[in-house]
Formats: sequence, structure tokens, C-alpha cells
Amino acid sequence: MTAVVRISSVEKIYPLGKTQVHALSGIDMDIQEGEFTTIAGPSGCGKSTLLNLIGCMDVPTSGEVYIEGLPIAKLSDRELTKLRLEKLGFIFQSFNLIPVLTVFQNVEFPLLLQGRFSRAERQQKVTALLAEVDLTAQQGQRSSELSGGQRQRVAIARALVTGPRIVLADEPTANLDSATGERIIELMKTINRTHKTTFIFSTHDPQVMRQAGRIIRLKDGKVVTGQDS
Amino acid sequence: MSSQLGQLRLISSVALRNLWLDRFRTTIIGALIAFGAFLAVIGLSLLNDVRASMRASITQSVAGDLQIYSANAKDSLTLFGGGGFMGRADIGNLPDFAPYRDEILRHPNVAAFVPMGLDMAVLARGNELDDSLDALRSAIKGKDSAIIAGRVEQVRFQLEQVGLELTARRQLSADQAELEQQERDLKVAAAPEFLQDVSKIGEEKLQFLETRIAPLSGEKLPTYIQYFGTDIAAYLANFPKFHLIEGTLLGPGERGIMLSRKVRDEQLKNSVAKIFDKIHKRLTKRNQSIAGDDECRRFASDLKKQYQQILSYLDRADAEELSRKLTDLGIAAVGGDELVQRLSHQLTMFLTVDDSNFEQRYSWFYANIAPKIRLYEVSPGQTITVRSYTRSGYIKTLPLKVYGIYNFDGLEDSDLAGVLSIMDLVSFRELYGQMTEASRRELDVMRAQVGIKDVSAENAETDLFGSERPATTVAANDKKEAAEPLSVKPRLADQFDPQEVQRGLALNAAIKLKDSGKEERTQQELLAALENRGLKANIVGWQKASGIVGQLVNIVGGTLLFALAIIFLVAFVIVNNSIIVGTLNRTREIGTMRAIGAQRSFIVNLFLAETGITGFFGAISGTALAVLVIILAGRLGIPAGNDIVTFIFSGPRLYPRVHWTVVTTAPILITIVATLASVYAARHAAKIQPADATQEKE
Ligand SMILES: Nc1ncnc2c1ncn2[C@@H]1O[C@H](COP(=O)(O)OP(=O)(O)OP(=O)(O)O)[C@@H](O)[C@H]1O
Ligand SMILES: [Mg+2]
Repeated sequence: MTAVVRISSVEKIYPLGKTQVHALSGIDMDIQEGEFTTIAGPSGCGKSTLLNLIGCMDVPTSGEVYIEGLPIAKLSDRELTKLRLEKLGFIFQSFNLIPVLTVFQNVEFPLLLQGRFSRAERQQKVTALLAEVDLTAQQGQRSSELSGGQRQRVAIARALVTGPRIVLADEPTANLDSATGERIIELMKTINRTHKTTFIFSTHDPQVMRQAGRIIRLKDGKVVTGQDS
Repeated sequence: MSSQLGQLRLISSVALRNLWLDRFRTTIIGALIAFGAFLAVIGLSLLNDVRASMRASITQSVAGDLQIYSANAKDSLTLFGGGGFMGRADIGNLPDFAPYRDEILRHPNVAAFVPMGLDMAVLARGNELDDSLDALRSAIKGKDSAIIAGRVEQVRFQLEQVGLELTARRQLSADQAELEQQERDLKVAAAPEFLQDVSKIGEEKLQFLETRIAPLSGEKLPTYIQYFGTDIAAYLANFPKFHLIEGTLLGPGERGIMLSRKVRDEQLKNSVAKIFDKIHKRLTKRNQSIAGDDECRRFASDLKKQYQQILSYLDRADAEELSRKLTDLGIAAVGGDELVQRLSHQLTMFLTVDDSNFEQRYSWFYANIAPKIRLYEVSPGQTITVRSYTRSGYIKTLPLKVYGIYNFDGLEDSDLAGVLSIMDLVSFRELYGQMTEASRRELDVMRAQVGIKDVSAENAETDLFGSERPATTVAANDKKEAAEPLSVKPRLADQFDPQEVQRGLALNAAIKLKDSGKEERTQQELLAALENRGLKANIVGWQKASGIVGQLVNIVGGTLLFALAIIFLVAFVIVNNSIIVGTLNRTREIGTMRAIGAQRSFIVNLFLAETGITGFFGAISGTALAVLVIILAGRLGIPAGNDIVTFIFSGPRLYPRVHWTVVTTAPILITIVATLASVYAARHAAKIQPADATQEKE
């Protein structure tokens, strides 16, 4: 069985003034389909950088990232964007809903970008997901009228609406209180089980780490140990 | 398909919501675009109005829609302010315009053909003594002794003034012998017995006064008049901007001239009145003051010196009365009993004006002095003498009766177009130098006298019209024996057969079209039709034919477009900058959209939609406001303010109209321009990276 994400001798160097920051130096790992993986480590160890590379928002300085076997280093901005739209879902620390849109419209947004579904199909997909994250009642509201937990559930629905193979979440619970954070992880885990979606998320929170099927620890841009659950 | 629509809906709904969220900025940009649209619609509408009214002024005064002239022209036809030799362009001539007219009138779009000839000549002008002597001469013809006595009195009074002038000149003159001769002549004329017995004032005495005494009073500067001769009946029927102000119209078959009001006001009006008018105009129309305006001060200091221009028209009784009236006005008579000296002093005081007394003096002048003097050198009913240099170097002198004074509506203040006078075509031909039977015979006699023999009438004609010989007076002067150009005094009857202007010589002709929109096509078709008949000619449009006056429309339009371009450039920069600033606040939102799969083009389209929508509504409201203003201005009229604007407006007020082509195209164009203005900013926004979605806000 091929890995849904394969990272092979990946280096990421950021220029910083006259010097350089080695955000990632020599990462190798495989993530299998349906895994519920967390990336852990102290601040500045390179968690976000790694997730950005897997999320096709950036390309490695050297080495290669494969998404379902497809190398991304040589892809154009256009192709990367298409890959993000079709295969990946994103959940952000600060939720990142589009403020001018309603809950329904936010979830519908990626479907409209894909542009291949009729109005009825979109309606059906969005309604189903909103039910799944328990926000049917709020579908007409603006994100500013929602609580943090509700917003993050909208974000989860948006990330899942296109049926992505991989969902990436950079510290999805950092802006939530621990009880709400736990419920969000709970929800992600449920979806991981029911939809067979691969989840990769980062966190500082040991509580959250315990929920993960697999923990990848980073330190100074390197993998410390690959502990399987 | 429906999903494309969905994306479009998505873009417009996100765009609209963003605009609403950022309504302050949206309002500013919208207002800016509205302002641009407002200016553009007003400006372009006014330009169309001005273009239409100037076109009407020009085409309906002289030019017609098209002008035809000889294919042999050396210069191009310029109806207003043409150049060339002595201000006369050489546009050749059409020896007989009839075949051209017949062919041109065959074209279905041609409404009229009016033959013309444009030229200039010198208006001979006597001085005041000449005028008084003329009056005396006709009084003697009339045989009413009371009138004769009055005229004699006036001549005598003027002789006194000439005497004073001579004394004054004595100090300056170098030629004492000449001066003494002049004084002797004057003594003879001023002697009481010279004009004593009314019955004995014969031709001899009058000629003595005219040739020996009148010149002492000084010659006035010659005045050039520009004129065109035409078939008056055809002209009046086709050129509605002609507007008779005074006198009568020149009838068919009548020989005479109608003078331009502007020329008469500026060159043939009593100079005291003229200066009063000029100051009055600057004070009232330009809100100047005499103390605060150099031009006014110069006029005012000129005015004081002009008392002679009043004095020399008065007889003794009028002078006494005026002196008394001035005393009543509070301008005391000093300088003893001598009337001329006393009144000179009083008039000088009267003509010394400043801001406190000007309006009073101005109206007093027109109420009490103007009726006593001759306000204009030339008035309808009088006969003037026009002297022209024919193309072959002869001087032709022609008496012409002044029928009327006229204006071209809308061009009344134009220095170039407002100065044309109009005469009948027969007189024009005479001044132009075409031989008539009578003048040809006369020329033969004169040639015989100066010793040129063997010149047949046919050769004389070739000389006059042939182009082999340089047709200037200089050419004539080259030959020693012909140092003085021949002066031919034609004897033309006051009437002519109207058939004479149905054919024969013309320099050019105005062609009036039924549909002036087809000007260019008709021009081509007419040229082709003439060619077919073996007739060659130049045909030009009204704008080209009217020279710099016609170009003014383009200059005004160019200036306006330039100003609009600058305004739009500024608006362009402001819109652009404000959008770029706006993107800074939206980095996270744009980054998020990019992260979850929006292409750069989506972001660009989103931004274009935002300015497009703002631009559209801004442009619509600016246009709507402009339409309201135009409708209002169309009711009230825009006052012209000064001469130049009066000319551009072709009248004292412009009544703007709503031009639907402008109103419909301007908002569309402005929306497009505004949208394009945001392309740079939109591409700038699209450079925001997906990773910027995680950028912490604030
Ligand atoms: N765009 C960038 N330019 C320069 N340096 C960067 C950039 N992004 C990250 N870095 C640097 O790379 C290293 C790794 O950063 P990264 O954000 O991946 O760490 P992290 O593990 O996510 O930290 P945290 O837990 O604080 O979010 C850090 O030293 C950071 O300063
Ligand atoms: Mg991080």
C-alpha cells in the first residue's frame, strides 16, 4: 500500500535578512491513508512549515513531497492550487472563515471554486455536512455571530465538503478552551473513522496528542522519534 | 455551465458584501468616479453643443457645407483671415461658374449653390473738413440758402481750428517754405469775403478748399475692408445667420455694399465714442476699474486728447450751446472769450474720467454730445469710395452705396469672421479687375494717354487674368515708364441686370447640402461628377475652408479632452492606490481563499468586480447628475462672460442639450476605465500567498 503522503529528504530554508533559517533539515516520512497523525514539538521546531509543504502551499528547498504519489516540487502555482482544491482540506488555528459570507456560503465556497456541481448537488452536500457538524440551525448566520467552537466546526465542514483525501490542521484547538478543543478533536476523529479521511494536525497540547493515532515529534527541523500508537 | 454562473454569482456576492463592509472606501471611490463621469458628460455634451453652434455659425454665415474653388489655386481657400499677398490668398477664379453650378445642383443632396468672391480693398476716408465740404456741396446743389448758410458757418468754424492746428505745427515743422504757403492758402480761405456771398461759392472755391485746405487737417489712416461679393438674393435665402441691424437689404440688381457692424464700430466710429465704449465694456463686462487696470488707464489718457473729435463736428451755435451745458454740468469755462479755446479746455476736462465720474460722463456724452456729432463715418444711405489693387496692378476706385449694417449671429465679435462686408457680385468683379465693356474702353483711352500702344482689348484681358505675369503692383513698378499704376475709374451704373450674377466670374462658391451629415461623401461624389464633365475644381469642407476659425472647434475640443485625460489620470492613480491599501487589510482573507483552492484569476476577477460595480454605479449617478445639470442649464442658458467665450458659444448664451450618445456611452466607458484602473491593484492582491492565511491579524 502506497503512502498517501511521502516526504523524502525534505529541506526547507527560509532567508532571514543576510542569514538563513533551516526550518526543516532532512525530513523523511510516510503517512498512510486513514491515519490520524499529529505533529508535535516545541515552538519553532518546524511544524507549520511541514504542514505547509504537505498542504502544497509551499515547495521544499530540496527533497520531494509526494501527494498520492505525485511529486509537487516542480508544480506551477496553478497546479498546486488545483491540488489543494481537489485533494486537500484545511483547518486553521484562527478558523479563517470568509467574514462576508454566511455559514452555508462558507461551506459551499470550495464547491463553487470546483465549479462542477449543480445547485441541487451543492445544496445536498452542504446540508449533509452541516448536519454532521451539528450546525443546521446556524446555516444562515455570519461567522461573526458564532462561538469559537462553532466557527471551527464550520471550518471542518468546509474542509470536508469536497471530499478530500487529506485534511491538514495547524493547531486547530489553540484558540479554543480545552473542553471545546477536545470536542473538535473528537469530531475530527469521528470523521476520520467514518469517511476514511487522513488527518494530519499539529498541536502543543499533550491532551490532544493523546487522541492521535500516531505522533511525529520534531525538534530543530528534524524528526526525533516516530512513535506509533 | 451553471457552475460558471455559480462562480460569477460567488464573485459578485463576495464583491458586493466586501463593498458594503468597506462602505466608506466604496463611497469615496464611487464619488470620485461619479465626479469624473459628471465632468466627462458635461464636458463632452458642451463640446457637442459648441461644435454644433460653431458649425451653424460658420456654415450658415458664409461657408455653406462645402466650398468649391478653382483647381488652379495657388493658395488654399481661407474664408476667414486668409493669408497670401497683402492678406489676399491667390485662389484663382472660376471664369464662369454656371457649368459648375449646373452640374453640382444635379446631385440629390445639394440644396443650393451660391457664387462668391472674397477680397479686400481700401476704404478711402476724408477728414472732418472733407465731410463738411461734402455737406456744403450737396447743400449748394439743394439751393436752400438757410441750409447753405449753416454749412458755410460750419466750414468757417473748422477753418478756425485748422488755423490753430497750423500754429501749433509751426514749432515742429522743418519746411518753413511749405508752411508759409499753407498759411497763405488758409488766409485766403478764412478771409470773411471768401465765403461771404452764398451765390458766388462756385466749383472753383470748393475745389480750392478740398485740394489745398482740407489736406491741412490731416488724413485719416486708410482702412482695409474685407468683403465678399455674391448673388445677394441667393445668399440671403441660404444663410440665416445674416442679420441686418440698420438700413436696408441690398436688393436684386442693386449695386452696393452692406458693412459689418464690427468694422463700423471699431474703425468707422467717432473715436471719442469708441474710447468711451471700450472703457465702458471693460468696466461692466470684466469688472475692471480705471485705476486698477492698465488698459483702462491707457484708454482714459487717450480720451482726454480727443476733444478735437468733438469740436470739429460742431458749428458755432452748437459749440456755444455745448459750452453752456458743460458749465451747467460744473465744468467751468476758463481761458477768455475765444470759443474754440474755451470749449477745448472744457471738453478736455469733460473727457478726463476716473472711476467716480465715468458712468455719468459716459451717459452724458451719449445724451448731449453724440446727437450733435457724426457718430459714424459711414451710415446707410451714404456712398463710400472703395479702392482696390487688381491682380494685375491697377488701382480701381469704385463708389459704392452703403445699404445696411449687419452681423453674423454668433460671429459678431470674431476678429476674423465678424469683419466681412458683403457686396453685389458685379461690384466685386469690377474691384477684382474684370473688364466690363465700359471700363475696357476707358482703359484703352488711358493707355493711349500714357503711351502704350497696340494693346488690343483681348490682350488687356489676358494681362489681367493670365498667370504668366506676376500679378502685383511691384511688377508694374519694375517698368520705369509705368512707375505709377494706372488708376481706372469705372463708371458703373447703380443697377444691373440680375441675370449678370447667374453666370460669369466667381472666385468660389458655397454649396449647401440637404443632409450635412453626408458632407464627405457628397464632396467625393461632386468631385467625381465634375471630373466626368471635364470640369476641374477644388472642393473642401466648411471646417477647412473657414481656416483658423474652423480649427478653433478642434482646439477647444482638444483642450477639453486633455483636461479630462488629466482628471482621469489622477482618478486612476487614486483608485489604484486606495485598492492597494484596501488589500492590506484583506491579506488573511485572500490568503485563505488561495489556500482552500482559489486560483489567482479568481482573486483578480473579484477585485475587478468590486471596482467594476463601484465604477458602474458611480458613473451612473455622476451621469444622472450631469443630465440634471444640463437640463437645468438648458433652461437658463450659460452666459458667455467675455468675447472669446461669446465666440466659442456662438452667441451671448449657450443652451446646452442632453446628448444621448454621450449619456449612454460615457458611463460604459468610464466603468471600463475604472475597472482597468484596478487591474494593477488586483494583480497585486493576487500575489498574496496561501501561507499568508495563517498570518496573525493585527
Ligand atoms: N516565512 C518565514 N520566513 C522566515 N523564517 C520562517 C518563516 N516561517 C517560519 N520561519 C522560521 O522557521 C522556523 C520554523 O517555523 P515554524 O513556524 O514552522 O515553527 P512551528 O513549529 O510551527 O512553531 P510554532 O509552534 O510557534 O507555531 C522558525 O525558526 C521560524 O522562525
Ligand atoms: Mg506553527
